[in-house]
Formats: sequence, C-alpha cells, structure tokens
Amino acid sequence: MMITKKALPRRTFLRGLGTTMALPLLDAMVPAASALARTLTAPIRRLGFVYVPNGVIQEQFVPTTTGAGFGFSPILSPIEPFRDQLLVLSGLAHRQADSFGDGNGDHPRATAVWLSGVHAWERRGRVGPTSIKLGTTADQIAARTLGKETPLPSLEMVLETPTAIACDTGDCFYSNTISWRNETTPLPMEPHPRVVFERLFGDGGNAADRLAQVRQTGSILDSVTEEALSLERTLGPNDRNKLSEYLDAVRDIEQRIQRTESRGDQTLVELPDRPIDIPETFEEHATLMFDLQALAFQADVTRVVTMMMARETSPRTYPQIGVPDQHHTVSHHRNDSEYIAKKAKIDTYHVKMLGYLLDKLRSTPDGDGTLLDNSMIVYGGGIGNGNLHEHTNLPCLVAGGGGGRLKGGRHLAYPEDQDTPMANLLLSVLDKAGVDAETLGDSTGPLATAPLSDV
Amino acid sequence: MTSAVEAASLIDEYCVSCHNEDVIAGRGAPPSPLVAQLRESGLALDTLDASDVSQHPALWERVVVKLRAGAMPPAGRPRPDDATNDALATWLEGALDSAAAAAPDPGRRATLHRLSRTEYQNAIRDLLALDHLPKELDVSVLLPADNATSGFDNLADLLFVSPTLMERYLAAARKVSRLAVGDPTMLPIVDTYRLDRELVQDDHLPGMPLGTRGGHRIVSHMPLDGEYLITVDFAGAAREPHELEISVDGRRVRTVTMGDNPPERLASGVFTFEADPPVEIRIPLGAGPRDIVVTFLPRSAAKDESLVRRARRTRGRQPAIAGVTVSGPFGADGAGATPSRQRLFVCVPGTGASLEQQRACATEIAATLARRAYRRPVTTADLDRLLPFFENGRIEGGFERGIQRTLERVLVSPEFLFRIERDPADTGPGETYAVSDLELASRLSFFLWSSIPDDELIDAAVRGELRDADTLDQQVRRMLADSRANALVTNFAEQWLFLRDIDAKEPDAGFFPEFDENLRQALRQETELFIRSIVRDDRPIPELLTADYTFLNERLAAHYGIPHVYGSHYRRVGLTDDNRRGLLGHGSVLTLTSYATRTSPVLRGKWILENLLAASPPPPPANVPALAETTDDGQPRSMRDAMEQHRANPACASCHAQMDPLGFALENFDAVGRWRARSESNEPIDASGRLPNGSTFEGPAGLRAELMRAPERFVTTVTEKLLMYALGRNVEHFDTPTVRAIVRESADDEHRFSSIVLGIVNSTPFQMRKTAS
Repeated sequence: MMITKKALPRRTFLRGLGTTMALPLLDAMVPAASALARTLTAPIRRLGFVYVPNGVIQEQFVPTTTGAGFGFSPILSPIEPFRDQLLVLSGLAHRQADSFGDGNGDHPRATAVWLSGVHAWERRGRVGPTSIKLGTTADQIAARTLGKETPLPSLEMVLETPTAIACDTGDCFYSNTISWRNETTPLPMEPHPRVVFERLFGDGGNAADRLAQVRQTGSILDSVTEEALSLERTLGPNDRNKLSEYLDAVRDIEQRIQRTESRGDQTLVELPDRPIDIPETFEEHATLMFDLQALAFQADVTRVVTMMMARETSPRTYPQIGVPDQHHTVSHHRNDSEYIAKKAKIDTYHVKMLGYLLDKLRSTPDGDGTLLDNSMIVYGGGIGNGNLHEHTNLPCLVAGGGGGRLKGGRHLAYPEDQDTPMANLLLSVLDKAGVDAETLGDSTGPLATAPLSDV
Repeated sequence: MTSAVEAASLIDEYCVSCHNEDVIAGRGAPPSPLVAQLRESGLALDTLDASDVSQHPALWERVVVKLRAGAMPPAGRPRPDDATNDALATWLEGALDSAAAAAPDPGRRATLHRLSRTEYQNAIRDLLALDHLPKELDVSVLLPADNATSGFDNLADLLFVSPTLMERYLAAARKVSRLAVGDPTMLPIVDTYRLDRELVQDDHLPGMPLGTRGGHRIVSHMPLDGEYLITVDFAGAAREPHELEISVDGRRVRTVTMGDNPPERLASGVFTFEADPPVEIRIPLGAGPRDIVVTFLPRSAAKDESLVRRARRTRGRQPAIAGVTVSGPFGADGAGATPSRQRLFVCVPGTGASLEQQRACATEIAATLARRAYRRPVTTADLDRLLPFFENGRIEGGFERGIQRTLERVLVSPEFLFRIERDPADTGPGETYAVSDLELASRLSFFLWSSIPDDELIDAAVRGELRDADTLDQQVRRMLADSRANALVTNFAEQWLFLRDIDAKEPDAGFFPEFDENLRQALRQETELFIRSIVRDDRPIPELLTADYTFLNERLAAHYGIPHVYGSHYRRVGLTDDNRRGLLGHGSVLTLTSYATRTSPVLRGKWILENLLAASPPPPPANVPALAETTDDGQPRSMRDAMEQHRANPACASCHAQMDPLGFALENFDAVGRWRARSESNEPIDASGRLPNGSTFEGPAGLRAELMRAPERFVTTVTEKLLMYALGRNVEHFDTPTVRAIVRESADDEHRFSSIVLGIVNSTPFQMRKTAS
C-alpha cells in the first residue's frame, strides 16, 4: 500500500497559487470600522443573505420540535454551536415563484423571488414580449440606508460562474442573481475573489496609490458626467433610459468616492494578501469568499452582502463529500433513498459553510461584542421541496444578534397551509436593521411574529 | 390554393373546432390540460379574417410556424394531406409577405446598445493591438458576465448597466491603459494557469511542439521588459526522473529534471513518498506577446510509471503538470517596442521636444484613438474633453503618463461603451429611415467581427460609399475573409448551438470512464473547425447537416470508431458512415443534449426543434406529473415505453409527438456521442420515428433525409438566428417576411453562407430603423 502526501503546500489564508515569492502586493492596513469607537449604544448593523438552490430535504432540515430549546435537525447540526444566535423559521412560502401559467421556470423564478417577493414573468410572455421587470430586492433596499456611510453600498458574490443553458428557461438572467437594484437592473454577482478584494480595497499598491487612484477616478467621472449630459441632449426623450442608467451609475460611484475620501484617520485593520485566482475546490472558494465578507464588515467597507452558494439547477458535483452526482440531478430524487441521502449531504455541507462564516463573524470583535452580535444573516432558498419545485415550506433561518434586536435559540413554525409570505420576514429583518420599508413584493406586513420581536 | 376563401374554409374545417373563441376565451378552471393549453395559445382562429392578414400578422405568423413544422393539427386529429397543408402555409406566407412589402417595418434597434463583454474584449484587441491579455486582465476577470437569452448575450435588452459594472469599467480602463502604454509603475502580474485535472498528459497534446508530451502553452502579453518567475506545479510524484522543457517564442530556455522519487518504506510496511516540489525558474522576458511552453520531453524506453502517485490526478500514467504560474516582472526597465505601443504612439516626440511639439503629438494620438474607439470622425469637443487628461498626466508623470490618462478616459466614454444610433432630426414618430453610413459601418463590424470597424470601413463610411451596392458587397466579402470574422464561429455559432456548455457537462464517470478533458476538448474542437470551414469556404448552409466530412484527431476518431487517424492534430476526414454526417453526428451536440448518465430523446428533440427548425415547443403545462419509470408491476420501463406516456395525454402529445421521434432517431448515439446497438437498459435500440404528418424514418441518416426534404426550414432557422445576432434584438413577426425573402433569394446560390450574410446586410431591418412611436 502506498500513501501520498499532498503535493501542494497548504494554502494559507487568502493566498493563492503562485505567491511563493514575495511580491510587492498591497500594503497591509486599511481603516477599521469608522464607528468602532463612536458609541457602544448604537451598534453598526450588518445584513447578509446567503442563497442555496434546488431546495432541501425538508425532513432533515426542519427541526422536529419548535420554540426555545428545539432539537437540531441533521442538516442544521453543523451550526448547533451557534444555537443562541439562530432563529429557524419553517413554513414560510414564496408563492410568487409559482408558474401562473408561465410553465417552466420554477428554478429561475425561485432565485428572482427570494429577496424581491415578485413574480418573474417569462420574458416572452404568453402573447407578445413582456419587458424585464422585477422589483428592488431587500438587500438593495437595505443598501440605500445602511450603505450611506460606507464606501461600498453592497457586495454581491457567487460561488459559480454563470452559464447560458443550465437554467430551465430561455432567460437565464433571473437565475444569475438574487440582487436587483431596481425593477429593471439586476446586479451581477461576482465569483472571483480577487475582483471582490479589489472592489473592497482597491487595486493600488499602497495607501498613497489608492488615494491617487480615487482622485483620478473622480476627475474621470466629472468629465464623463459632462459628456453624458451633452450626449443626452442629442437623444430623443424615449432614448434616454440606458443613458440615465449610465449616469445613475456614474453618480453612485462619485458618492462612493466622496465617502471614501471623507473617511479620516481611523483604526487600521490588517489586510491579507491579494487573492490570486478562484480556488480549485468549492470549500476553499467558499471560505475565502466568507473571509472577504467578514473582512468587509470588519473594515466597514460595506454593511450589506449577498452570496449565492450556487445557482438554481447547479450542475456542481461534490465528490469530496461522497456526492459525485450533479446537485440538480440529486435534488430530483424521486424519493429514492440514495439520492435523498446525497442531497442531504449537500445541504449539510452548505450549512457547514455557513457555520464557517458564523464562526468568523463570532471571532471578530466589533464594538463591545462581535460581528455576529451585530449582524443578521438570512440563509435559505426559494424552493422548499427540490424534487417537486415547490415554493412552500422554504428552508429559512436567520443567524446573528441583529445588534441586540434579534433573539435566537428558537424554531418558529408557521402553519404550512397558510403560506405565510417569506417577504414578511424580509420586512421584519429590514425593520430590525433600522431600514424603513412599508412593503416588499407580496408581503402582507411584518412577520406576525410576536416571537421575532420579543427581545 | 388561390384565395382567402379557400384558406378560410380549410382553417374552418381543420382548426377551429379547438381554436375558437369559446374555448380560447373561456373562464374559470380549465376542464382539461388541453383546454388550458389552448387558452394559453390565445389563437382563436374563428375571429381572424384570412382575407386581410395585415390585421393580425403576429398571430398568422404563428399559424405558419405550426403548419410548416407539421405540428398542427395535432397527432390523432383529422389533418389535410401534406400538399394541402403546404399550400395553405405558402398562401399565408404570400399574403403576409405582400402586406409587409406594402408597409416595411425595420423595427427599432436600441438607441444605446452596450458592448457585450466579448465585444469589449475584441474592441480592446483591435484598438490597442492587445491580442492576448495576461490572465490578470482577462476580460472574464475585468468585467462581469453578461446575461444570455435564447442563447445570445449581445441583445441590447439584457445588457444592463449598473454601478457595479461602471466600477468595473473604470478599473478595466485603468489596467488596460497602463498595460498598453507599458506603465512601469504597474502592479506585477501573477497569472496562474491550472490544467484540468482530467487532462491526460501521457502523449503529445494538440498545439504543443512536436516531440513533446503533455504540458501547457501560454500566449500572453507581458507588461514590461524584466525578469519573470515561472512556477510549475506537478500533479503528483514520479519514481523516475523526467525532463521538463521550458521554451519561449519557440526557443528552449531551460530544461529541468523532476521526479526521481524512490518510494520509502515506513516501519509499518507502508510506502510513502514526497510529491514533486514545484519547479521555479527566473527568466528575462521582453514586453509584449510571448509564447511560453512548459512541457515534458518523452522518455525513450521509459519505465512503467504506473506507480506514479497521483495527488490530484484521476487519470494518466505519466507525471503531469498541474499548473503553471507566470509572475513578474521583477526589476522591470520599461516596455520596449510592443505591438500595442506601436499602434498607440502614432507619433513620438523626441527627447527634448518642446511642450508645443508634445501637445501636437498628443493631439494626433488622441484623435486617432478616439476615431477608432468612437467609430466616427473626431470633433473638437472630443479633443477638448480628452486633452486635459493628457495635460494632467504629463505634469504628473511625463508624456507617456499623459497618453495613458487620455486612453483611460477614452475607454470609459459612453461613446466607446455604447453603440449609439440616433433618429434624424427631421423624422416624426413611427417613421422609418435609413441609418447613417457610420451607423451602418458599426452594424457591419459588430455583426461580422464582434468588434469595432477598422480604418478602411470607417473611411468608406465617411466617404459615403457604403450605400453603393458593389462597395458594400466588396466590404462584406473583405470582412468575411478577415481573421476577425472568426467571431462568427466563436461568438455566433457557439452560442447558437450552446457549444460553450460542453465545458460544463460532467458525464458520469461511472458510466463513461473514458470521458476525459482531452475528449471534451476534441469534441468542441471538431465542431468549431467544422463550422469554421463552412464559413471560410463559403459552403451551402444545409451542408452543416449533410457534410460527408468532419475534423478529427486520433482520440476523437477512436471514440467514433473511425480507423486510420493518427496523432493529436486535427485534420479533415471523409466520412463513410452516413449516420455520422453533419452536426447531428457531432459528439459535442450529442453530449450537450444528454444527461450525465443517459441520453434524453426529449432534450435532443427539443434542441433540434429550437435550434435547427425554429419551432420552439411551448413550455409544458403546469403541474405535469412525472413519467412513471416503472410499470404497474414494478418493472423498469424502457425509455421508449416511458415516453409513450406522452402520447396518452393530449396536452403532452401535441408537442411530444413532434419532439420525441426526432430524439429517438438519434438513440444509436450514446450520451457522449458513441455509436451503440443497445440502450442503457441493454435493449436493442429502436431508432424509428413517425411524425404527426405520417412520415416515418429510422436512425440518424433517416432523420437527416427527413430534415432535408425541406432544407429551407433549416436555412430559415440559421437565417433567423443570424439576424437576431446581427441586430442584437429578438426577431419579431414583422421580421419574418424579411427572413423568408433572404432564404428565397439565397436559393440561387445554394444557400451559401455569404449569400445569407449579404441578404441580412441588405435587408430592411439591417439597413433601416424606425423612430420611436
């Protein structure tokens, strides 16, 4: 018998292949949370949204007992150490992801509905073309408020690159993102850790470089704004939509630059090396991206992060946990016990990755507590039973302390036959994050959850 | 058929018993899935007046599609004979075409059409002679992915603009401009090229130097002259020593011995050995495009390396490279003479040039750049906007910094990032007009090259020559002959056929253990080379389905069971087996229309309908029960038996009767495209099919013969897809008469590729535009 030692040197935190010799990478310090020293009574609240596709094995996801002291289900077992800061919600629904005569598209609609509560019409519609229209998603509503004080209003990440065919309608863009800036603008989700890193911390070599870049960008934006406005005058009134999107984007970045420049001397957070590439394994990729999320929260570069663990109909295989089959394939298990077991393994693995994030957040001090104390991480997906594509009894939990406003350690079960909109939960979460929102998609009001608010 | 009366009576006889107002406009819960489906169709033919099709051209075009596909009346209902059916379709088409000719509608291309990621990359390539961006600046890292619909990612509607994208454009402009100029303060690159773990490196690989084994070739633009570090990681450990060769631009720069790890026996009796450590070499490289090859020299009389421990490989019996990293430069000393500097610096102020001389040169550079980037003559307003960036940069860091800043500014201009088409000032709402010559030039280059026009095309447009039929014809032929027209293969055809998704396919290793990366690459390569030959040699479009030749290397030929093809390189091979002919015999197509463990007649049938016959089936009705996979007594059903359930339910049958037989005809090809006589359930393959119109056929050759009974249907599909791609918008009912005309006219030229392209270029929607209504 022969055993081989791993051929590759163990990769250290945020270090990709090829950095075996010292390169002049970024210097190591950026400002820490601006409000760290500000006040202990008003914690900075952060929001995270983590999407998992293809439903879950509900029998192994939903805890069998409710209320405080509920028993952990097999799939949720990796996050049992965070019991006190976990709120599990079962029985919520996203009925706006149902077909409404559109036929195929349960998967893309599930992605689109998750944070919007809005039905994603098949674009070609039943008679004639239907325009692209969804709704502003919860994360972006939050970003309008929580993003006012950070350089980056929000960050969108994904662990899979998009494809054209692996979604079950002609229109893949509904499957590619959970984040819509407004009714007509989906935001791209980024798989590459270096791009995420550079969005957060810039691509300059040192602090002086970065500041010079910011100033240079500022003067480009001034000039581009002037150009776009003069261009606008040459166009008919109906033709200005795309250009206003462009101008809107330019203004948004101008504001970011102002916020970046206005940040004075602050405590510094140590930056790791710039990541090089998308790591080879799913687990390395996931942990690296969650590291970046924690770092973004810690440095207060952004307070709103969305993450898709995979896209709906994901073809990813997970041989490392004994599932060489494609995720989407095993999710249609047809009650075959072998497939059910494999799907449950994937579900558990994803929850384990969430556990990594929660652990990272809990081990990072923030104010007089930890980042986890001041965060709310909504974890779940737009499909309950993946075998049947149902949009009811969705997998859903909220982790974190919400800055003292969220009481964990409970499992709240909503009667399945009532189809309580998950949009109601999103409203409640926004409210707890200090974000005003009257309605969201098909919401009927904040979650009827005395339990949610009885802190 | 000659009259509307005859048409109406046929419709009355065969269609309206289902397609009538009472059924279509019914309310309440539908009594059956069939009625639900009819309601969704919205086609109440008793309310339409066949004597004036111009009132509802969209609905009539849908009727034509169904008739031409033979999909209606559905299987099991009374239907006219084929001649009558075709006559009705022809009569309707004639009426629709006359109506369209009386009032041509070119539709409205978007006013602002953002460049797709591919177009941006090609524009950078052509603007700055940056053919091979380093991996750090690869467009897939620089910019977020675009969304595709109906396959294509260049449709204006889906090219969204968000702050995230703008942020990326700004960063991309900064990086690209510094690379093009050769800015010595650039951050070093760290480019890691990982080789697929399923790539077997036991033999020579396509594209590698002769007499080598495995390895990888990197063609990339080095930012600056300087020293670079090349790090080679290995997939495992080798017992024997192996020679590794590193060459640059065809010249060997180093050989290194790796491996030679005699296993150690531990006290427990277990053998262990260290994996081969990475090899690192430092070499000087000049700025600009470099061709770096890292590969093994084959060992003669090599001992069996089957004991090679594979830390990260699952296949192969020889040591393999896991990845190559190029990082640097270290001790950079400028950028020398790169192609991009030559293209950018159309003048160079000598040392000691006066400020005026520097400014004059900068103006010349900026004007040349802006004309190419904005695809139009430059105005003083353009220069007034650009030159301050030169001035600021020059003051800060000299002449070249000034040029870099100017370029950076150009690359985020809306005039670069968007293709802009303006309504002429004197037009009213809903009016049609011919687009300007410059707009036409951009339409041409983005259609044929997925990139910006070159100087010659802009010059012709400025001179007003593009409206001259001969000049236009000659320009199109010139562009088709240019290497940039390869975008029609890599951008158009790959998206049309969904070929890119072959990369994401993971045939189950338990069922298809021989499916490795080498095969995957060969499958993709075959189809790419095949389509390229159709475009380059200007072959008739139907040849895509009928060609008695293809492009194979030894690996793929063995996969197909074709003898006497040796070596890793691809070459044209004549086909003696009729079943293998054309795209339907390509392993790529057959694999991407299969599941991981088995074939799917439904997927294949649907793919044929959508991509070859332009007759997309409507989505299945809601709440379809899954097919029962076992019979009542628990026995597994054969595929065909399971599919027969489709026929039992009329709501399913209306489409599946059309779709399934097409797929079944290909059942002799397994899920990775090999020929087989028995199915997954070990039953003899039954590849016979019967379409609703009663025609029968058997096997791939039979299916192809059936499709070729009316080759115009396939040509129509290709034309429609090309038109959609050319316009960057969906093809609508008012475009259909145009498509028919192009197909008709190209018949004289055997539907050659160029005749379709020229037909599109000369068509109403390509040449004209309608103002907003």
